[in-house]
Amino acid sequence: MSMEDYDYLFKIVLIGNAGVGKTCLVRRFTQGLFPPGQGATIGVDFMIKTVEIKGEKVKLQIWDTAGQERFRSITQSYYRSANALILTYDITCEDSFRCLPEWLREIEQYANNQVVTILVGNKIDLAEKREVLRQRAEEFAEAQSMLYLETSAKESDNVEKLFLDLACELIREAKQNTLDNNDTAPMPGEGKTISYLSCCSSLN
Amino acid sequence: MEEQGSPTVRRGGPECLSAVSAETIESLTELEDLERIYAQLCAEETDVQNELETLVAQQSTIETKMLALQRMGPNLQLIEGDATQLSGMISFTCSLAENVSSKVRQLDLTKKRLYQAIQRADDILDLKFCTDGVQTALRNQDYEQAAAHIHRYLSLDQSVIELSRQGGESSAVEASLALLQEAELSLKALVTKRLEEAVASSDLPQVERFFKILPLLGLHEKGLALFAQYLCSQLASKAEENLILAVGSDVGERRAPVIFADTLTLLLEGIARIVETHQPIVETYYGPGRLCTLLTHLQKECDTQAQKIVNKFIQQRDYHSKFQVVQSSMMRGVTTEKIEPRELDPVLSEVTLMNSRAELYLRFLRRRITADFEVADAMAAEAVSQEHQQSLERLLKDCQLSRTMQELIGYYIPMEEYYMRETVNKAVAMDAAETGQLTSSMVDDVFYIVKKCISRALTSGSSDCVCAMINHATSVLETDFREVLVCKLRAGYPVSALQDLQRGVSSAVSMMQSSLQHGKIQTLGIESQEQAKSAYLVTLNNVEVCSANIITLKKNLENDCAKLFSQGMGSEHAQAKIDSCLSDLVNTSSKFKDLLQEGLLELNNTAIKPQVKPWISNFLSISHNIEEEEFSEYEANDPWVQQLIVQLERLMAEFKVGLSPVIYDTLSSLMTNLIAMEMEKTVFKCTFSRLGGLQFDKELRSLVAYLSSVTSWTIRDKFARLTQMATILNLERVSEILDYWGPNSGPLTWRLTPAEVRQVLALRVDFRSEDIKRLRL
Repeated sequence: MSMEDYDYLFKIVLIGNAGVGKTCLVRRFTQGLFPPGQGATIGVDFMIKTVEIKGEKVKLQIWDTAGQERFRSITQSYYRSANALILTYDITCEDSFRCLPEWLREIEQYANNQVVTILVGNKIDLAEKREVLRQRAEEFAEAQSMLYLETSAKESDNVEKLFLDLACELIREAKQNTLDNNDTAPMPGEGKTISYLSCCSSLN
Repeated sequence: MEEQGSPTVRRGGPECLSAVSAETIESLTELEDLERIYAQLCAEETDVQNELETLVAQQSTIETKMLALQRMGPNLQLIEGDATQLSGMISFTCSLAENVSSKVRQLDLTKKRLYQAIQRADDILDLKFCTDGVQTALRNQDYEQAAAHIHRYLSLDQSVIELSRQGGESSAVEASLALLQEAELSLKALVTKRLEEAVASSDLPQVERFFKILPLLGLHEKGLALFAQYLCSQLASKAEENLILAVGSDVGERRAPVIFADTLTLLLEGIARIVETHQPIVETYYGPGRLCTLLTHLQKECDTQAQKIVNKFIQQRDYHSKFQVVQSSMMRGVTTEKIEPRELDPVLSEVTLMNSRAELYLRFLRRRITADFEVADAMAAEAVSQEHQQSLERLLKDCQLSRTMQELIGYYIPMEEYYMRETVNKAVAMDAAETGQLTSSMVDDVFYIVKKCISRALTSGSSDCVCAMINHATSVLETDFREVLVCKLRAGYPVSALQDLQRGVSSAVSMMQSSLQHGKIQTLGIESQEQAKSAYLVTLNNVEVCSANIITLKKNLENDCAKLFSQGMGSEHAQAKIDSCLSDLVNTSSKFKDLLQEGLLELNNTAIKPQVKPWISNFLSISHNIEEEEFSEYEANDPWVQQLIVQLERLMAEFKVGLSPVIYDTLSSLMTNLIAMEMEKTVFKCTFSRLGGLQFDKELRSLVAYLSSVTSWTIRDKFARLTQMATILNLERVSEILDYWGPNSGPLTWRLTPAEVRQVLALRVDFRSEDIKRLRL
């Protein structure tokens, strides 16, 4: 449709309790900054970063949502068109971990069923204050068939990896989809925004 | 004299003066040699003579110069004397100047010290004067005067006072200072107390009087706080009054549906008016950069009052209970209690109006405070202005008003979404297609509703709210509404009994029997079939209009947003967010286009293909292995193509009336493809004589001419293969093909493979297969 300079466009939405560091993760990834003393996000913020993966240009449209309850109805409206969700909690805050089932219910209700969800435990730089053990989070993620990663936006730990891994996974799924769609007659309805058929190289 | 001397010198001189020495001459013996030497000597003599003459000529010049030199001697002695004198004078002047300037410097220093001394004396005098003045003024209750004295004292150089204290007159100064400090404290306490009293009794003149005095005593913060307290009490009483009026107002009044928005507007306008009226006083007596502090105090009252209004609004309009009903009906789908979307209309409008007022107010605050800081921070350090910027952001972002409005909008969005979904469902349920109209009512209705909801969200002035509604609209169109159209298309295009009849003999017999038996029911069936047919066509038109409407909707919304942004709503960032959501909306347009394509294919397969196929296979029953006689009979009574054209015309007439021109064109194109394909298959099943080939060529020409006349597509290309087949079937002899093949093909591009050409040639009964095999293609 448009001849823009990218091979894939993916929408990634960050969700999770207020204060777990969603904005910091996005800032660290898109601008390389860790702005301390950030105010709470109002509504929804959005950033764009284009990365190159195996020679393909991938444009990531990242929607950083407010964690506070009163913005929930705004943020929910973004779930449906999201290709991936980053569900974030704070490893030093048991509460933010305990809220995860509630977030999963939201995802169940509003997101499309092809969405890729990754669970992220942020703030591993505060190891001495850790309240949620890694193993526990891993088990939880596995039970919900989500990917799991621990990050530190402050120390820039695993932040690149988080977004790049996600982009790889999304490319893999997009390719899978185009293959599936080619087998059967193109069914109207839930289709991915992107359908490029390029030779399928397996990603690891 | 010199002339005589010269030979002497020469003679006695060394031999080198002459090129020839005397001994050489003496030793000469030959005449020739002598003569040569002689000539040489003669030449030398002439040279010497000339030289002498030149020297003599110079004599007088040299003598004149010598005379002049002798005359200059005394003058030079005079000059030397003068120069010595001048140098002495200069060095004297220099030392004199240095002497004078050092004196001036000393004077300067003395003057400065003198001034300092005077200043100090003045200060001490002032101090004394202030001490006396303050006490008199205090006695006379002249607080302005007293404060002026204290202000004078406070602006005195503290180091001077310290020095004075150490100086000789320490005891007197000490006493004054003590008195002054005491006076300062008591004045501060007194004035503060009086201001508090004035505030408590809402005495505006007194409030303003003492408000102006406080900054003179360095009590800026205190003064602003107390003044704000006064303003807040004014605000509160006015706001409470307005709220009581609002609650008690008549339901029938014109502004009744937006009475809470109006009350909120009054409150916010009241604060804006305070800023307008009092900013000059604050700036004059407190200096620039104080507006943020004042407004931070006022905002607390604003928050309280706004919360009261919103609480009343929630209570009177059943805002929360409406939200709960909406939420539960959206969660479960089917509920016992359902809210009529129309009932939500007024409350949704009022909420967006309230939010837009709040946004307007916050923008006003930002503008005013920023301007005030700009004046104050013109010379300030970067850190100070950053600190100021942060305090502004804190005020705007963290105020309860913002939070309350965000909460209201948080409830508004699901309700607006519900309104949109329910009203769209209603429009679908009430869908009606008027005869003669290509589309049915629901398409326009649905887009009207979607536009209305997003426009209402736009009036809220919150970009996040607009984005959320655009997202919901995209979802409603792409999922809910598209699903409706998909279902209608799934019902399919019905095949009428008459068409069934033509399909096959066996089914025709049973059909005939059944139609004979249930004559009446059959006609009814035909009627409902007609309805289903037109419903299918209308749906196709609807789908096309949808994809066009989405693009129009996006353009309209873009314009509306641009208007709002030009009025200062939101930042560039907010604009980018809205643009991104709008581009998602526009992507749904292509999904409708895909759906249209599918529907057309379906129509082509069910309504056109089964009809056209037998018509074309009729071609088989017309022999093309014919002689002259049959050929002329065909010419008189067309055996096939005219009937085909009439049948096609009749078949397509229905679609031409029922479909929009664009869709009809696409359908015609599909039909043309189908005809070309079927014709090709059929021709391969026939045999041709030379005249039969000619007959086929004629028939094909008529068909192509007809199809070209009814479609706007170029169809020659689709019939290229068939036309080439006709050419081959028209050949005199097998070898004639070579006149058109390979290097002789000219502008013609063959669409048939060599194998196919042979296949076509073989259809001619009069061509021998050996000839065909022998062809080199």
